[in-house]
Amino acid sequence: MFSDISKVFVILIFLALSLFLLFKKIFKIHFHYESYLNYTWTFSLIFATSEAISFEIAMWILAVLCFMALREYFTLVDIRLQDRFGIMGAYLSIPFMIIFIQFDYYGMFIISIPVYAFLGIPFLVTLGGKEIKGTLLSIGIIDLGLFLLVYCIGHIGYLSLFSTWWAIMLILNVAICDLIAILMRKRKNHRWSNVLIQYFISAPITIILTLALSYWTRIPWLHDIFLGILIPALVAIGRHTIRYIEKDLGISRDQLLPGKGQVIDNLRSLLYAAPVIFHYLRYFSMRSDAF
Amino acid sequence: MLSEMKKFASLFCVRVLTHLFLLRPFLKLFFGVNVTGRKNLASLDQYIIIANHNSHLDILLLFYILPIKHILTTHPVAAEEYFSKWKVLFKLVNYLFSPIWIVRGQEIDDPLKGMKEVLSSEHNIIIFPEGTRGVPGQIVRFKTGVGRLAVEYRNLPIIPVFLSGPEKSFPKKSTIPMPIWNNVTIGPPQIFKGENQDITSSLEKMIRELSESETAKRHRRYKRLKPAFTFAVLGIDGSGKSTLSRMVSKKLSDNFRVCLVSDNLEFYENENQKELQPLLTEKVREGLGRYAKTAKSLKQYKIPKLAELLLRDHIMGEVQRWYTPDIIVQDGCPLINLAAWAKLYREEYFDTEVCSKAIRILTGKREAIRKDDPIFAKFHELTALRRFRLDHMRLPDAVIMLDVAPAVSIQRIKNRGKQRQVHETEEKLAKLREGYLLVTQVVEKEFNIPTRILDGESEIDKVTASAIEFVKASSLREPEYE
Repeated sequence: MFSDISKVFVILIFLALSLFLLFKKIFKIHFHYESYLNYTWTFSLIFATSEAISFEIAMWILAVLCFMALREYFTLVDIRLQDRFGIMGAYLSIPFMIIFIQFDYYGMFIISIPVYAFLGIPFLVTLGGKEIKGTLLSIGIIDLGLFLLVYCIGHIGYLSLFSTWWAIMLILNVAICDLIAILMRKRKNHRWSNVLIQYFISAPITIILTLALSYWTRIPWLHDIFLGILIPALVAIGRHTIRYIEKDLGISRDQLLPGKGQVIDNLRSLLYAAPVIFHYLRYFSMRSDAF
Repeated sequence: MLSEMKKFASLFCVRVLTHLFLLRPFLKLFFGVNVTGRKNLASLDQYIIIANHNSHLDILLLFYILPIKHILTTHPVAAEEYFSKWKVLFKLVNYLFSPIWIVRGQEIDDPLKGMKEVLSSEHNIIIFPEGTRGVPGQIVRFKTGVGRLAVEYRNLPIIPVFLSGPEKSFPKKSTIPMPIWNNVTIGPPQIFKGENQDITSSLEKMIRELSESETAKRHRRYKRLKPAFTFAVLGIDGSGKSTLSRMVSKKLSDNFRVCLVSDNLEFYENENQKELQPLLTEKVREGLGRYAKTAKSLKQYKIPKLAELLLRDHIMGEVQRWYTPDIIVQDGCPLINLAAWAKLYREEYFDTEVCSKAIRILTGKREAIRKDDPIFAKFHELTALRRFRLDHMRLPDAVIMLDVAPAVSIQRIKNRGKQRQVHETEEKLAKLREGYLLVTQVVEKEFNIPTRILDGESEIDKVTASAIEFVKASSLREPEYE
């Protein structure tokens, strides 16, 4: 019974977002951060597919999202022609990671990219050509992109294997933090003070939201509070770090286009939060009967 | 009416449907395509598209931007001898794009004949004026065929298109395409009135401008600057070397980022002085310099001045690191000053050989000089500097010696109205002048550093002009990057 109601709610969230996007399209309503809504919708599609159709299909949708993010990243970075084998290796890591999630093969999921891909990609880069200069930089660029945009995002997929509502809780909390950041963007305060203010506004809301969702997530209230405190902090750290990478890549927040930073910018708040929250929940759920 | 219906019906042929439902979605989903300036193409019925050429993907991308009604009536110019190597590929390309085949390198009466026939039947053509895919990411000189067509079809608009991305996603000599976004920038339609060569060069310029605006947005790896070109202005006190260095710095700054290392650090760009991030070492050096100027005897003067010179040399490294100038102008070179001042302190030992050895020791090039060499006994300071590992001083890339008679310089110093330093007497300045002239001679002959002795009593504008001319001649190059 609980499972059915839960499924209905997930599908309802997806339908509501879909209707809103359709309404926006029909009446040609445009607003500044509409691409963010598209990515929230993509996650709702993944969760609705996972609940209503099949977890496997949902994971392949996640794979497409990872592919899009990685493709955008490789378009923006300065790569050498001979790095193409390394890039191919990075792209090929996506289906392997997705298969390990689908098989619930935690051990391989957790080491496939940081061990095998990170060892294999440098080798592939060296096979690409005889130019030595810039090899270190190329390997660093490819490995970082793969880590952030595939491995970190992949944790959302594994989290939804444990419980779709855990993943929904994470996405909603991150969305709340992003919404507050968007609302506060026009403030002209010093950046660090702005980050702190954002955190102290976000944290009570995320705590309440996590507690409210505990009916479906089944996370004990003490952990809910801690997650509500932790998520805005991770979002702030992630946003701050990725902001530097974005600026280096020439991503301008005023001109976000597909292929020119749109995907990376919309995913940036998740990149730190997803793996940390995944490991937090996995650790405590395995050691506590309360979950 | 009937012809319009026929035209409309033709849009449902397999070729158009293949473009719409196979090629375009593949390009969009696998690679990703951003199109800028689509409106430049929308209202035209007939045109010539020209684009840079780096990849086989280029043709697909140019067909991607075409209005649907023009898919059947647009023909790219393609090299027959290349595509005819593979029969299947040749047939496929022939079917999908119906190109105008040309054979490169073959001598025929009118190589543009096929293109003219197509244009006469009110169809459009796509030309890659570079002729070949060339080096990825580089635009080579355009061939004049497009100019000749433009002369013949003066009313036909030519649309410059810049493609970026295919050189990374599917470059020449690669067999596997990589998913990387492609950007298609469509320039405004052009109608030309000039002659063949002018039209060709104008089109090439347009494509280059489009490429600059596009590539400027891209991420670039950190480029390490080559060491700044350093030149020193030497001369005794009152010779006008500070004024000359400042004027030369300002004049050179219209093309370069110039840092002047004088009593203060100054930075010039576009002939304006810029504010600098302060350096702690510089503050210490300034203090030492002020203290040295108050010395009552040469003995008191020696240590603070030596320390000041060593710090000034150290600052050269910091200036390169923090300010990254193209040129550093030194108002006096610490190493050469040290060597020249030996004339004042140890005149009896000072000659060309000693000077050469001293410079070698101070620059760390002392392989041929033994530790028990008599020079260390004559100049204890060299032993001390070696022991304290302070023997890695820098030589400039060029030297200008501003020569002034000591009497003139003394007069100039008097005119300043400031308190004279301990060495600012006619006799000592004369010795110092000899020392500078000797060191200048040594660095030119022994160290192959270009030097020029200028008359410091001439008009300052003339001296500045000769100094700039000399600096440019002595291998002052455009700032190069690795």
